[in-house]
Amino acid sequence: MNRNIIIALILIAIGIGTFINASNDYSHYSNFTEAVTGGKVKIVGKLSKDKPMIYNPEKDANHFTFYMKDDKGIEKQVVLDQPKPQDFEMSESIVATGKLKGDVFEASELLLKCPSKYKNEEIAIKGKAK
Amino acid sequence: MDKVQYIGEHLWLGKIGHFLIILGFVAAILSAAAYMFSLRKKTLTSDIYGLKLLGRFSFYVHALAMFGVIGLLFYGMYTHMYEYAYIFDHVSDELPLRYILSAFWGGQEGSFLLWIFWHAVLGLILIKREKTLEAPVICTFAIVEIVITSMLLGIHINIGASEFKIGTNPFTLIRQTMNAPIFANADYLSLIKGRGLNPLLQNYWMTIHPPTLFLGFASTLVPFAYAIAGLWQNDHKTWVKNSFSWALFSGGILGTGILMGALWAYVALTFGGYWAWDPVENASLVPWIILVAGLHVHLIFRNTGHGAKTLYMFYLAAFVMILYSTFLTRSGVLGDTSAHAFTQMGLEWQLAGMVGIFALMGSGFLLYRWKDIPTPEKEESMYSREFWMFIGSLVLMFSAVLITGSTSLPVFNKVLSYFDPGYLGKVIKDPIPHYNKYQLWIGVFISILSGFAVFMRYKGMMWQDKQRAFFVRSGIHLGISAILTYLTSLWIELPSWQFWMLSLAGYYTVVANGDFIFSIIKGNFKLASSAIAHLGFGLMVIGTLASGLNQKPISSNPFVFKGLFSDEDVKKYVQLIKGKPLFSQGYFITYKSDTLIGRERFFDIHFRQVNDSLKTLDEFSLRPNALYANDFSKVAAYNPDTKHLLHKDIFTAVMKVPPATESVEEAKKIEDSLKYTTYEFVENKPLEDSNFVVRILGTTFKPSNPEYVKNTHDSGVGVQMNVFDKQDDTTYLVEAAIGLQGALMYTYPAAIDALGLRIKLNEQSIDNFFTPEENLLYKDYILKAGQTAQIDNSSVSIVGFDNKPTNERYKKEEGDIAIGAKLMIKSNDKSTEIMPLYIIRKNQPMSIKEYDVNSGLHVRFSNIDPATEEFTFKIAKDVKQVSAIKLDIARNVPRNDYLILMASIFPGINLFWLGSILMMAGLFMAAYQRMKSKMA
Repeated sequence: MNRNIIIALILIAIGIGTFINASNDYSHYSNFTEAVTGGKVKIVGKLSKDKPMIYNPEKDANHFTFYMKDDKGIEKQVVLDQPKPQDFEMSESIVATGKLKGDVFEASELLLKCPSKYKNEEIAIKGKAK
Repeated sequence: MDKVQYIGEHLWLGKIGHFLIILGFVAAILSAAAYMFSLRKKTLTSDIYGLKLLGRFSFYVHALAMFGVIGLLFYGMYTHMYEYAYIFDHVSDELPLRYILSAFWGGQEGSFLLWIFWHAVLGLILIKREKTLEAPVICTFAIVEIVITSMLLGIHINIGASEFKIGTNPFTLIRQTMNAPIFANADYLSLIKGRGLNPLLQNYWMTIHPPTLFLGFASTLVPFAYAIAGLWQNDHKTWVKNSFSWALFSGGILGTGILMGALWAYVALTFGGYWAWDPVENASLVPWIILVAGLHVHLIFRNTGHGAKTLYMFYLAAFVMILYSTFLTRSGVLGDTSAHAFTQMGLEWQLAGMVGIFALMGSGFLLYRWKDIPTPEKEESMYSREFWMFIGSLVLMFSAVLITGSTSLPVFNKVLSYFDPGYLGKVIKDPIPHYNKYQLWIGVFISILSGFAVFMRYKGMMWQDKQRAFFVRSGIHLGISAILTYLTSLWIELPSWQFWMLSLAGYYTVVANGDFIFSIIKGNFKLASSAIAHLGFGLMVIGTLASGLNQKPISSNPFVFKGLFSDEDVKKYVQLIKGKPLFSQGYFITYKSDTLIGRERFFDIHFRQVNDSLKTLDEFSLRPNALYANDFSKVAAYNPDTKHLLHKDIFTAVMKVPPATESVEEAKKIEDSLKYTTYEFVENKPLEDSNFVVRILGTTFKPSNPEYVKNTHDSGVGVQMNVFDKQDDTTYLVEAAIGLQGALMYTYPAAIDALGLRIKLNEQSIDNFFTPEENLLYKDYILKAGQTAQIDNSSVSIVGFDNKPTNERYKKEEGDIAIGAKLMIKSNDKSTEIMPLYIIRKNQPMSIKEYDVNSGLHVRFSNIDPATEEFTFKIAKDVKQVSAIKLDIARNVPRNDYLILMASIFPGINLFWLGSILMMAGLFMAAYQRMKSKMA
């Protein structure tokens, strides 16, 4: 057999093996119901604006809690051990990565999807002449 | 709505601009068509020359038209033509001129123009330099330009009920993009101002990174076009010869562009690293890897004639992957998986079409000629350098496939959910470990291959004789690498055997290529380019191990690094209180002060490195800052600061500041929520509370309250006091001040953050210090130099004059005549000197009064009689009602003297930069030598 074909076959075999292996690293966007298993998941949801959002930098600058509703409508408290992200209130949707412990979702990372800086914004009016 | 006749719009700019876009588009079509016809077999030889000339001329027209578009848009930005949406969105009156280039390519349309610009420039150079393959190469360029220019056409086509948009015209008027009541006003332009560039993009990186990266993107079209030319002409030799230096240049410049991005992310953004496997980063890395794989096959093919098909595939793929990366970053498909992709602009299908067209074009040509591409009968020897280079290229390609697969998850999700709407999209749980896990082995393989392959011979010549020497030499290299790896493990942590392997492999390639440079080619730099690049790769691997794997956050938790806490529990950010040192990683870190300069607030973070016996080893300050938005309403961005040492970097970025510092609105909210209680300090008796004591020390007319000092006032008064903290046994010396400016009064409270206190001087207390001007009874006193006037128990005498007087309340104007009288006032056994001013401005006499606290005299210098040398002063005795000083004190005030800091130590990061730079230098050196030898 041609040696190049052997090399190609070996590479393809390693490739398939890698992709099967890598699929463990993939998961679909989860929700709070599925997170009960306790594994690390990514949950897409929206900030519950009517529930309290607590960030008290004087007590602990690395502690921020808020409530989030997932796409199934289930609401849970989320704890983030980081400072409150900038423009947090403006977020359209939130992707929280972390684990559910008891009734609280402990997030290790938040990704905010904010409305484009310019959309729906009033047109800037010039201030009075200086 | 009636048609409004708008005032002040410069419609000519958009009209010419749009015309030029269409002209450029049509000229590119004409150029492509003319070159294409010139290549037809049926075309008469006599016509070929004319057709080529037409193609060339049309390409010139295209290039000129596009340069014109760029020039116009740039002119519009420079002159602030806010009627155009693109200009409105990216420029503002306040934007410094030096950021106007950044603003130009800050958006989608501008960056398309930048890309087009480089294609046009490269095309023009190729027309001049490429004689044999001009027609197919420039034809390919023109086809690419047709497609990219179409992104700017801005034509709307209605098919049935749905409307299709082809491109976005950069000269779209703002009133066409949004429907706002303001546009009912014919003079709306006088009311609007630009939004300005996002503060995050206002730095010099944004000026140099995009043009370099886009030149890199554009340069990948050269090997692509040459490959197409080879297939088209069925000539598989000429293009390989003519394109090598171009391909090397492309590898160098694209790599440099990517590195600049990494450097930007590291030094100027608060990402806290230089590479995060973000989809946008991956999207530009993948074409580079493929291109580098292609370069190796290119060399193999030139030396041995093997690998032509692979070479075609790689070069075609590199450019198609550039297009794919454009699709990923600009279509909005990455959505919530990337931190920095563009937002949608409604061109998804057009972008996807662009990838499709050129993927089909490349694969179509390749399949059509597949059988004609030469393949040598004899297989490459296992013992040749070329064989192992080929294996290396395949490994690189494999790496590119892996990265693309994972990066494309959002695309697969989109496609699958199109067929199955209930499909739940997949995401990578932990992107960084995911990519590292696989790319680590790519790094090991590439390092080992580029270590020993350099000592193998071309076509495996004389392998039998050299075999022994080769193995001995490689064995020595491996031994040295093992020692170096061991030494490295003493410096940085290598947590598992995989990392030991990577370190060994990295050192191996450094040692082997170093040996090659010094003992084989004896430092002959003409032959050293590849060895330098590979040595660089090895250093980069070691640098990545050191700085990436061993990046240590500075944390308030001292146990973190003793393995008692898992990574997830590490709190990456620390709170620093002004003046209170934090000890971490061998450093005392203190937040000393903050200073506002322009729109930037700088935080002075002091680092003091100590040894075990607390002896200071090193001391330095870092000044990360917070950049306020253009209107100062809130912090818009935080900029880091890094201390660069030879063996490590110390990176700091402020992540958050107290709400009152962060935004004006919050500061006002906090101030409004405070409850002040008024206390009277009768005979300056101290005020004692459960946890503090306030004691008034004295009053001053020259307040030193830091906020007061920053402003200028007609006059002011400050109350100095001691505040004793009972719990901490600490005394704070503070001052509450009031400034007077005309009829306005400004209060400057004293803040004691540790006690949560804010103390204001009660506004009524001001009567203790100042008598309103209208209550004063001035009397005239006429004096000659040296004379003394007696007013009650004070004496006033002239001691001198100053005809160039300075006074903070006196702003000199052109034509002023000003004289200051130096007066000595003696009262209560104390004497003070004051200098009231007499000014003649436009024949009108004016005066600036002085107040002497000690004697309580208000003095105006009101007239000069030159004939008699007599000076008139109006002097009045203060009639203030002395009552107790009142202070308003608020408790439980939120602290305003802290910040949240992210600080990290990156050991060995210079190895990473040095290695990367050597890699690029090797590529550029090779490109230069090939170009020179081709020209010779």
